[in-house]
Amino acid sequence: MNAPVHAKLASQLPFYQPVADECTVFETAWRQQLPVLIKGPTGCGKTRFVAHMAAKLGLPLFTVSCHDDLSAADLVGRHLIAGGDTRWCDGPLTRAVREGGICYLDEVVEARKDTTVVLHPLTDDRRILPIERTGEELQAPPGFMLVVSFNPGYQHVLKTLKPSTRQRFVALSFDFPLPEVERAVVQHEGGVDERLAAQLVTLAGQIRRLTGYDLDEAVSTRLLVYCAKLIASGMGVRLACRTALVEPLSDEADTLAALMAVVDTQFGA
Amino acid sequence: MEDLVGGWWDKLIRRTAYRGYPQAAVALADIEKQAPLFFRAMGGDPALTLRTAVGTAHGARRRLLERIAGTGEQVELAWRDGQSLYLPEKIDLFPDAARNRELYFWLMALAAQPQHSDDGDWLTRNRRASAACLAAMPGLAALYRRLVTALLPLRDTPRDAAAAAQEAAIRAALQQPEAAIALPPCRTPPQPVLLWLHPTPPTAPTAGADDKQTPEMEDSDSKETKKKRRYRARRDTADERKNGMLLVFRAESIFTWDEYVRVNRHTDDDDMDDAGAAAEDMNTLTISRDNRRRASRLKFDLDLPAAAYDDTPLGSGILLPEWDYRRQRLVAEHCCLKPMLPRDATPAPLPDKLQPLARRLRRQFQALSPERTRKSGEASGPDIDLDRLIRFLAEKRSGVAVAEPPLYQAWPPGGRNMACLLLADLSLSTESWLGEAGQVIGVIRDSLLLFAEALSACGDDFGLYGFSSIRRDEVRYLLLKDFAERYDDTTRGRILALRPGYYTRMGAAIRQSTRILLEQPAQRRLLLIVSDGKPNDLDHYEGRYGVEDTRQAVLEAKRAGLIPFCVTVDKEAGEYLPHLFGRRGYSVVHDARRLPQVLTGLYASLTA
Repeated sequence: MNAPVHAKLASQLPFYQPVADECTVFETAWRQQLPVLIKGPTGCGKTRFVAHMAAKLGLPLFTVSCHDDLSAADLVGRHLIAGGDTRWCDGPLTRAVREGGICYLDEVVEARKDTTVVLHPLTDDRRILPIERTGEELQAPPGFMLVVSFNPGYQHVLKTLKPSTRQRFVALSFDFPLPEVERAVVQHEGGVDERLAAQLVTLAGQIRRLTGYDLDEAVSTRLLVYCAKLIASGMGVRLACRTALVEPLSDEADTLAALMAVVDTQFGA
Repeated sequence: MEDLVGGWWDKLIRRTAYRGYPQAAVALADIEKQAPLFFRAMGGDPALTLRTAVGTAHGARRRLLERIAGTGEQVELAWRDGQSLYLPEKIDLFPDAARNRELYFWLMALAAQPQHSDDGDWLTRNRRASAACLAAMPGLAALYRRLVTALLPLRDTPRDAAAAAQEAAIRAALQQPEAAIALPPCRTPPQPVLLWLHPTPPTAPTAGADDKQTPEMEDSDSKETKKKRRYRARRDTADERKNGMLLVFRAESIFTWDEYVRVNRHTDDDDMDDAGAAAEDMNTLTISRDNRRRASRLKFDLDLPAAAYDDTPLGSGILLPEWDYRRQRLVAEHCCLKPMLPRDATPAPLPDKLQPLARRLRRQFQALSPERTRKSGEASGPDIDLDRLIRFLAEKRSGVAVAEPPLYQAWPPGGRNMACLLLADLSLSTESWLGEAGQVIGVIRDSLLLFAEALSACGDDFGLYGFSSIRRDEVRYLLLKDFAERYDDTTRGRILALRPGYYTRMGAAIRQSTRILLEQPAQRRLLLIVSDGKPNDLDHYEGRYGVEDTRQAVLEAKRAGLIPFCVTVDKEAGEYLPHLFGRRGYSVVHDARRLPQVLTGLYASLTA
């Protein structure tokens, strides 16, 4: 479980390049006290977007990376034994409700189905969190917001959100940004010049054409930024592309060789 | 003696006159595995298949030595059409193998560029496409410069003024594809440019839909290497005269080598070697429809059997949609699928020859049957769940009344929770022989039997179905064993009574199987397809149409949460199956005799 990231000052706003009107949608949803669902492929900026918005709205952010062993107690809290006595300890969800911050559940489909049920009373107009173990019933303050995300094209086709859960959220669909936007992102985050960033983005566009045919998942904006960082720190361009863009995508020798041929169309000697 | 010396001279002069560098040759086969991926990444259409191009006469002036040797008339150029991408079978243009290899990649990048019909002549088209490649891909530009630098010294400078001007324009266009350069007129065609695409690509020979079978079948017994070759084909209507050779022959109208004449001769299965060599030498192959067919080809023209001999239909049929890739949408109620039972099926035991293997498989699969795994949080069980107990006691001490949770660990018999539907291709092509392996249908029958033996040993739910088709109104869907039935002598009898027939409308069969499989309550549902070739049917369901419809059906199955997987005995399946099932969604069995073992082995590893 990740430690909560508290609100930073506006001057330390995490970088996020808006693609469309997602920032406005998010802010309006927060003002109207509506929960938000974010869909999108790996590494397209979902987590960064939430961090950015939390900082922008001046709210504490509690991030939980969901996994298949995550139980309701992990979200809500549990009793711990301390010095021969027991002490109640809030989980991230409870803390977010108490402090009126954003609780962000990353990859929520990974969590067990019964876990997501504790979210239901929080996501309708009641906005309450009943804690069975302490007998409390928390009323969420206006600042509280629930945000969940998942990756619809994930390997496990069987894993998807229950319709009854989905229906409770305002949904935003994310995808890899347009080339100009992505170039700005790579340039800013990776610390490379405009020309190199443009080349990396063109290369990513070529590799993304292979999704579904030869590759399970496309190269993400995150990988592009990694690659740019490696290049900016002095690594050779081809080596950086190999380690950050090609090797993470496949294990098959033929696919790797072909991807390197594609890399060479941009960075060949 | 004269023959021998002549032969030596021929060899010597051909070798001296030859312009390539055979020691640095790179074959298409060397890059075949990387080529489709690269082509698609460059923006090429993913549905295109890769084929080798054949030589075209370029008509340009040759060197003296070449004219003496009689070589250098033809050149292999790359091009693409609506179905395929054609690349030279081997490239030995440059003395450096690395350059030859790079030329392949350059040609693929060039061919992947979108084509515009209003782009003007050959030079302008290629110049613009090259310029577009270079502008978008700086790394490729470096490669291109290397190729041009290496190519220019290899090109001849013609003595004739007009030809020299033409050559100069081509050189300029090669060096500066961005500059607007026009091709000056000249009597002789220019020297071929191997860095560019074909000036006049041959027309697609698939214009007539029902002729498709013929060239494919002819290929089947010819040499494997020539199989994917494509000859400059011309389509012609059959000559009206019955006996073409018996016209009043006038000595001055001598036919040229490749002129079409209808010869009144019974077609027989002759040696294809000579024909292959002749086809190499010809500029144009003329194909026309003949009313006569070879005996071995007759079987592809079957009509419906008399009702009395047909399989037993079950009900009136199910209407299913079909994907039309040209319109990019599903056409609703386009196919009629008819569930049937094999006729003349009598209960039968497992054939004796399969007994030993079946016994071994049963033993293997019994081991696969569900393992016991520890489950925590059970209401009763042999062990205490310590984690939960500690948590519970801690809560109790805090003074809050909490109901006692389940606090034991147990080892309940686990369920694999797996359902598998096996769908076998029973089209007429399965009647063909595969060397020592016997008929494909025999191998499929054995595989179905052994697969069923293995699965009934491990206790997974499974269903067995077969399919074939005659146009869209009759997709025959044979029920061998449904999920509710037991695998016994009745189902064995049905499998043994299978007979091949008709065509392969795979999309409809997959859609129906998806429906059946979705009704199964299991958590993981596997759709295994056993096939021997591409989807095809008598109507327009062939080539790209059939492939795209099948691809859609597979995608629908995937979206519904099934796991589709294809096992094929077609050695060329690598060309189209990745497009249909994804790179990890299929397996090619090279030795058909091993199909039963491969199938069961696959099942074990897929479901592990």
